[in-house]
Amino acid sequence: MYEYSTIGWLKHCIFHPVEGFEDLRWKKKGSIPVSITIVVFLFIAMVVDHQLTGFAYNENYVKVFNVVPLLVQSVVYFITWVVGNWALCTLLDGEGTFKKIFIYSAYALVPYIVCTFIAVILSNVLIKDESIWITAVQWIGLGWSVILMIQAMRAAHQYSFLKTLASMVGTLIVMLLILFLAVLLISLFQQLYVFIYQIYTEILYRIRG
Amino acid sequence: MSAIRKKIKRILTLALTASLCSVMTITALADEPYNSYSYDSWEEPIPSQSAYRISKTITGEEIGLTQLRDPSSPFFVSEDAVVTLSGAKDLFCDDDSREFWIADTGNNRIIRTNEDFKLLGVYYDVDGSTFNEPMGLYVKNSIYSADKMVYIADNKNSRVVKAKLTTDNKLSMVLEYTKPEEALYTQSTFNPSKVIADNAENVYAVVTSVNTGAVQFSRDGSFTGFYGANRVEVTAKVIAQTLWRKIASNDQISAMERNVPAEYNNFDIDSDGFIYTVTEKGNTSTDAVKKLNSAGYNIWDNNAGNEYKFGDITDAVWDSVSNKKHNKMLTDIVVDKTGRMNVLDFETGRVFQYDKNANLICIFGTKNSTADQRGSFSQPNAVETLGENVYVIDGAKNDITVFTTTTFGQQVHKAVVLYDEGKYTDAVPYWNNVMDRDGLYTLGYIGLGKASLNQEKYNDALDYFKLAYDRDDYDKAFKYARQDFLRDHFVAIIIIIAVLVVLLIVRKVLINKGIIVIHERERI
Repeated sequence: MYEYSTIGWLKHCIFHPVEGFEDLRWKKKGSIPVSITIVVFLFIAMVVDHQLTGFAYNENYVKVFNVVPLLVQSVVYFITWVVGNWALCTLLDGEGTFKKIFIYSAYALVPYIVCTFIAVILSNVLIKDESIWITAVQWIGLGWSVILMIQAMRAAHQYSFLKTLASMVGTLIVMLLILFLAVLLISLFQQLYVFIYQIYTEILYRIRG
Repeated sequence: MSAIRKKIKRILTLALTASLCSVMTITALADEPYNSYSYDSWEEPIPSQSAYRISKTITGEEIGLTQLRDPSSPFFVSEDAVVTLSGAKDLFCDDDSREFWIADTGNNRIIRTNEDFKLLGVYYDVDGSTFNEPMGLYVKNSIYSADKMVYIADNKNSRVVKAKLTTDNKLSMVLEYTKPEEALYTQSTFNPSKVIADNAENVYAVVTSVNTGAVQFSRDGSFTGFYGANRVEVTAKVIAQTLWRKIASNDQISAMERNVPAEYNNFDIDSDGFIYTVTEKGNTSTDAVKKLNSAGYNIWDNNAGNEYKFGDITDAVWDSVSNKKHNKMLTDIVVDKTGRMNVLDFETGRVFQYDKNANLICIFGTKNSTADQRGSFSQPNAVETLGENVYVIDGAKNDITVFTTTTFGQQVHKAVVLYDEGKYTDAVPYWNNVMDRDGLYTLGYIGLGKASLNQEKYNDALDYFKLAYDRDDYDKAFKYARQDFLRDHFVAIIIIIAVLVVLLIVRKVLINKGIIVIHERERI
């Protein structure tokens, strides 16, 4: 019954929060390239929000610009979310595959990204007395995305509503665990690197000496 | 012939080199023993021009205390009188007569000098009752009589003396304020360390280990209460203890450490009767500097949504001398007629100068390094100001350091005074001079921005506020800039909107007539 283009499916999902993702799943649609583009745009939205927000609104420390925290906050968090959700829901009888979770999660982020861009544009033309509009846009974007995300996860895993919520909270915990382990691993490998490097310099000195 | 010429040449070269060398040493000497700095909008230290330079230091001998040993002098006391200062705790400048008063605490005497620090009088007693470690001084012409009233916090004698200066250069007791014998005053001791009096001659005394505020006396000498107590600084420890108190037994509570506010250390009163206090306790952020109205209410209250910051904001940065971590200890404050404040940090020896709205103007002075240098302090006990000059008295080096303004400082002062009066446009030439000398001077950009705003040059104002990182003022300027933009481009905007609407209508019409065909698949 539904015959949409790739972008058309995205639009359908966003504007039909209740059955959109179910339709997507039923029709086995959803595109990886589009999802990757969305994640890239999430990162761009973060940077734009950090750098181009109107001067009166921008409370970020813009003396130095460091892209790494923004990259972590967008791309790394997203990937961790997907991995965490997949890892958890596979154990909890979820039907979603890794690919599905990736696509559905990315689709759900679109309102947040769009509203961030709108808020950035508004912040350049509105004065502080009118900040309520920007706040409203930001909250609408966030709320919409959260609702979509719940629906996306529900459709992906074919869960009941409450189980979806529980799995999402669980995913957040799993994300924390993953990030903790990642940090641990990184620092460990750094130690290892330093150790090897020291041995290398030591040998170098001996050979020279 | 040529040999003589060679000799002359050699001598000339030598002389030139020598004179060059001496010139070089002189420049080196003129440098301050510290790097001037300021804080930017992110509250990070940035280098700045020196607004003050050290003009001279004055010791007891230079004041003329040797006259105390000279039998022919009218100031003669005895052959073995001490001619140096010792542990001086307070310095006070009487603006009306331009005279300085020094509480020479270690020598139990009061010294009065003129503005060039030439001796005018030494007072060991009042009506024969000698002083014992006088720590605080305040001088004011009485509005009730024509007399010059001297208030002395006579620390070890447990009294505040109100004396008048008699015509034969003696102090004569007017009133003695002693320990209040009232239930409200719970301390067993009364050791006043600082004293001030307001226009109505109410006397306020900072008393050692009284943390409920300054002890206040009325003009007739009766105790009227405490004035302007500090609040307890909310730390994690205090919160935890408040929780424990809820569940602990009475015995346990009485064994607990009590959470009491830090007493304030020093204060000053301005011509409008506002009292400014400083709290010396290390690194305190609550009530470090307060501006109290007559009801004892703090006008500079950060809890009311303001962000007043005094002293060093970050710990010990830009201290090229000691290069270590400091606990700031604000020990003295002085407010002059224009409302300019100087706050002295005992720990770092720095004087922080603020305008009357608590905007940082400049920072100068430093603590002693290993080498004793002019302009560095061991025990900076009090700061005083007369005109633009700033004076700091040192209780260990026993001298007074005089800071005078540089050209930069003078221009800043002129600009700031006009700026604080709201005469932004008048301040512009001075701000330009300031910016020529220090392009990082944040307040200057704000001043220039406000001037541009007043002159309706909104885009200039936006640029200035951006440079100063002043978001609130930027917002104000932006409101007008936007208004201007809309007014100027109103026709263009309307035309663009009209064209868009027409295009959409045309498109719709064409679709309806079937001239443009859109597939359902493509309609997204």
